[in-house]
Amino acid sequence: MMGTALSRWTMSYFTAALAFLVGAQVLMIAGYGFPAVPAEAPETLILVHMVTIGWLSLLMCGALFQFVPVLIAQPLRGGRLVLPALICLLSGLAFLLAGFLQLAGTIDTDLPLLAIAGMLLPVGFLLVVGVLVGTLLRANLTLPARFVAAGLACVLVTVTLGALFALLLSGFLPALAGLDFRAHALPVHIAVGLGGWLTFTAIGVSYRLLPMFMLSPDGERASSRVVWWSGIAALVLIALASPIVAMVERTGFMATPDTATGLAAALGLVSLILYGVDLAFFYRHRKRRVIELNSRAAQGAFLALILSALLLLALLATGTLGQHIGALLYLVAFGWLTGLGLSQLYKIVPFLTWLECYGPVMGKKPTPRVQDLVVEGRDRVWFALYFLGVLSGTGALLVNQPDVFRFAAGATLLATLAIVVELVLARRLYNVEDGKRLPEGTSRPRLFLPSL
Amino acid sequence: MTQPHYKLDVRPILRAGGEPFLAVMQAVDALAPGQSLRLLATFKPIPLFHVLGSRGFEPTAREIGNGDWEVIFTPGNSQPEDKIPQSEPVIKSVDNAEETWPAPLTELDNRDLEPPDPMVRTLEGIEALLPGQTLAALLPREPLFLFKELESRGHLWRGSFDPEGHYRIVIRRG
Repeated sequence: MMGTALSRWTMSYFTAALAFLVGAQVLMIAGYGFPAVPAEAPETLILVHMVTIGWLSLLMCGALFQFVPVLIAQPLRGGRLVLPALICLLSGLAFLLAGFLQLAGTIDTDLPLLAIAGMLLPVGFLLVVGVLVGTLLRANLTLPARFVAAGLACVLVTVTLGALFALLLSGFLPALAGLDFRAHALPVHIAVGLGGWLTFTAIGVSYRLLPMFMLSPDGERASSRVVWWSGIAALVLIALASPIVAMVERTGFMATPDTATGLAAALGLVSLILYGVDLAFFYRHRKRRVIELNSRAAQGAFLALILSALLLLALLATGTLGQHIGALLYLVAFGWLTGLGLSQLYKIVPFLTWLECYGPVMGKKPTPRVQDLVVEGRDRVWFALYFLGVLSGTGALLVNQPDVFRFAAGATLLATLAIVVELVLARRLYNVEDGKRLPEGTSRPRLFLPSL
Repeated sequence: MTQPHYKLDVRPILRAGGEPFLAVMQAVDALAPGQSLRLLATFKPIPLFHVLGSRGFEPTAREIGNGDWEVIFTPGNSQPEDKIPQSEPVIKSVDNAEETWPAPLTELDNRDLEPPDPMVRTLEGIEALLPGQTLAALLPREPLFLFKELESRGHLWRGSFDPEGHYRIVIRRG
């Protein structure tokens, strides 16, 4: 569309992302991957990367292309690279998943599938980071934008390590084969990916979007700055734990990676607690008394984040982190990140659809309200079902009940599908009254491709 | 002890389509201790209430006819609790800044509306104008989506931040 500030390909990113979320949950119900097989089995890696790259990263990228310009009040720079980035990410992910199938023995081919993925995915993420950093560099960074910038640095670390794994597993880089990557680099890959890229970025975006939609004071708070600094310190400690320990040992002092990890966990906890304080502030000081379903459902995600932190503490205290890491990662990925993602899509998709459709006649003709594109009353139950499913799934994993877990995954899938249907109906303006749907001068938005 | 008010009439600046914010702040800086500021404007300058409130001033406003307002900003006894550090207001414009615009016909306060209502109300206001007329709107933040819409509809605008982070925009219908 000419003359609008809408990101052209964001809906396409969202559509691909939701397809991966649905696909991953179908596999979970089918009993594919963890917990039926070990956490490090190729089948589990397929599931994990469908969720982290296919769903969460595509969702985050699509959202950032739309919201980084809003965060810093500058137009997106290099927007023509957004589609090539999507193509690289999707093809890279396809090769990655095929490569894992090759490891599992399901696909028999001599092609170095993982190595190809190890090149396409970094190119895709580099394009994403290039566009977003190029845009961010034009402005003085507000605190939310600084969180996003840190998240972008983290995605580069995550994808670099991922590419190294892919090349190692394909038999390239024999010089590095002697290093114990699983012990030293895998925890960094996971922690910086989930904690840095996905969580830190989500926190940054939420600092802007929540006050915007709830009409809360959005001035920069001292507590938010501490969230930023302690979070950054935790991420740096995690990323550099092994090198730091090596250096400290060289000076003759005793140190173990556990010291650095423990310190990082403590700092991360400080960061999360103060983030919780800020969230409570936004909700309590909102001018909008009746909040919409997206802000209400987001509280489920925030609760899941708190529960994740408590679970991590409990597992560290009882020394059972290794045993229950799957349950913890499930709660983080599905309770916190997916819960936040679905709840915010429920606002973002109608909002962007509304702008795309009614922007040209705004102020000239009566238009429906953004809220008229959805029916909140009927969707409340789906969000409730979703979070109940995640909680039961986490519980099932903790007490080692794979069948209960599959049942819980069925509940989350049902809820996800219902929310997806609602998003499609919103795109189709289905819930708008017939007479108000398409005033003269408007045209119906396409489902997920940009209008020409 | 009574000190005469420091008088500042920003109506000519406003009628010329200018931005009186700097003149007001210079006047405030020039006040003697305890002296109050008597400001004359073509509208009730609500944004200034917040700005000067943060510097410890109490406003008393009354309408003086013809839509004009007189506001007396009296310094409070207490020191301002927290001074908001703020650089010079950012002036953004897409037109020849030398040109003078007619005074805004309406002054919209769209700060406490949920998005996208600040934009909808502003655009509704513009559609009610004749070409060349202007309106002013106070918005919760810099309106990126609105800029694009104004651009595609051929309207001109001038805007700047107030120290509270709100955005005041004057739009001239194209």
